[in-house]
Amino acid sequence: MTAEISIRNVSMEFPTPDGVKHVLNDISYDVNQHHFVSIVGPSGVGKTTLLRLLTGLMKPTSGEIQVHGERISGAPKGLAVVLQDYTRSLMPWLTIEKNIALPLRNQKLGKAETRERIESSLEEVGLSGTGGNYPWQMSGGMQQRASIARALAVRPTILVMDEPFASVDAQTRFDLEDLVLKVRADFGITTLMVTHDIDEAVYLSDEIVVLHGRPAGVRDVVVVDIPFPRSQIETRNDQRFTELRTHVYAMVRGLE
Amino acid sequence: MTVSRRLLAVLIGAWLPVLLVYLWWTASAESTNPYFPPLSVIWTRFLELWVFDQVPVHVVPSLQNLAVGYAIAVVAGVGVGAVLGVSRRTARYVEPVVDFLRSIPAVATVPVFIVIFGLDASMRIAAISVAATWPILIATMQGVRATDPTLLDTAAVFRITGAQQLWRVRLPAAQPIIFSGLQLGLQIAFVVTIASEYLGAGFGIGAFTLIATDSFLILDAWTGVILMGLLGYAINIVFDIVERIALRWYIGQKKLA
Ligand SMILES: Nc1ncnc2c1ncn2[C@@H]1O[C@H](COP(=O)(O)OP(=O)(O)OP(=O)(O)O)[C@@H](O)[C@H]1O
Ligand SMILES: [Mg+2]
Repeated sequence: MTAEISIRNVSMEFPTPDGVKHVLNDISYDVNQHHFVSIVGPSGVGKTTLLRLLTGLMKPTSGEIQVHGERISGAPKGLAVVLQDYTRSLMPWLTIEKNIALPLRNQKLGKAETRERIESSLEEVGLSGTGGNYPWQMSGGMQQRASIARALAVRPTILVMDEPFASVDAQTRFDLEDLVLKVRADFGITTLMVTHDIDEAVYLSDEIVVLHGRPAGVRDVVVVDIPFPRSQIETRNDQRFTELRTHVYAMVRGLE
Repeated sequence: MTVSRRLLAVLIGAWLPVLLVYLWWTASAESTNPYFPPLSVIWTRFLELWVFDQVPVHVVPSLQNLAVGYAIAVVAGVGVGAVLGVSRRTARYVEPVVDFLRSIPAVATVPVFIVIFGLDASMRIAAISVAATWPILIATMQGVRATDPTLLDTAAVFRITGAQQLWRVRLPAAQPIIFSGLQLGLQIAFVVTIASEYLGAGFGIGAFTLIATDSFLILDAWTGVILMGLLGYAINIVFDIVERIALRWYIGQKKLA
């Protein structure tokens, strides 16, 4: 397997009024192509910081991040994001269609192809026929589906999600998790997700990266050896599932 | 809003003006004071002059100056405001000058423009556009600076940067703030339109009213005052309609929030 993303000895420090804040310390990890990787860890450990480095929004203090073997500077090509706060990530002055079309402008696709991308990505997330609505006219779950559609429309090779389902109700959360699994199965997109929910991490991932400490390092990488396809009822009752979640939970809490 | 609720809103808003007009009408009915003629007489003269005999002579030139001056102000205010909003470095050099210039009362600048442009329409247009530019510029600058960082991050990851970021993200997001500047700018533009006609103009509503006063045509002067009031009101209504259409997304979002 080839590494789609390589995180090499990445450290991150923030200058603050009370001196330098050392958040990430010498993180190294390779994300394999087509893999689904979750990043978990206690609140404030530096998960979002790591994602911001990956998406090119910030530069690491030292070390480097490579995508397809090339060091990134700025947002890497072929990378799409879904953020937790969909109300501040979808443009409220644009309809869902136009939100999806916005990142496609740079791809110079032509009218027909753009149309096709909008329709097919809306269909993939189960939102066919709702493209004319404004985001704020839709439920939270639908808005997050729309964010996923926007990400898919750029045909990304990498999808990055920061607590994508933290602001929706439990039932919607299960639906969206299964949607993400379907997207992964349909397109094989390499996916990196930050989550607080350890069950969710185990349910979705091939591997779970546990961050711990101040400054944070990679405490462990847990391989989730539960076969796909997974299902909310069966997988979550699987004995292996229970073992893994207990293990990850203990590590996040620093108990193990 | 349903039709009946809208009607109710209009009625609630209208009772005070209606009452004042009624009081003016009855109180002035028997008036023999030449400075305060009966409203009924003013109204008759108003219809003679402004429906629509003198409109091409006096109203059209005023509105033309207003339209051209305001249009220049919108382009300049939004354009310069946007640049100052995104470029902190430029703003550091330019902002003190902007702060100084915009503190000069709009009407006080008219003599300066007379020196530069003489007494024709270009002087009036220049005075209108300069005065109206400041509130638009300031609002645009602040609006463009206040873009939600999450929106900007999302745009950046999707590689929407530079001019595209300004045009597709920052400016649309700033629309509600920009529109408050546009409204203030329009009100100022109207005031300066009238005021600029008090100096050396033969045509225009302001000129008409001033000349009428100087010639002791008190009745005509009164119609001019009423006309200005009605025009100002109408301009505001048109602005509100345009704003409501442009900000539909913002109003809709607020209503649901
Ligand atoms: N720009 C910044 N300047 C200074 N400190 C920062 C900055 N960004 C993040 N930090 C600090 O870095 C640490 C990690 O923050 P981060 O948001 O990455 O945590 P997180 O793991 O995503 O937390 P959560 O689970 O609550 O989302 C925090 O202590 C935070 O205060
Ligand atoms: Mg976070």
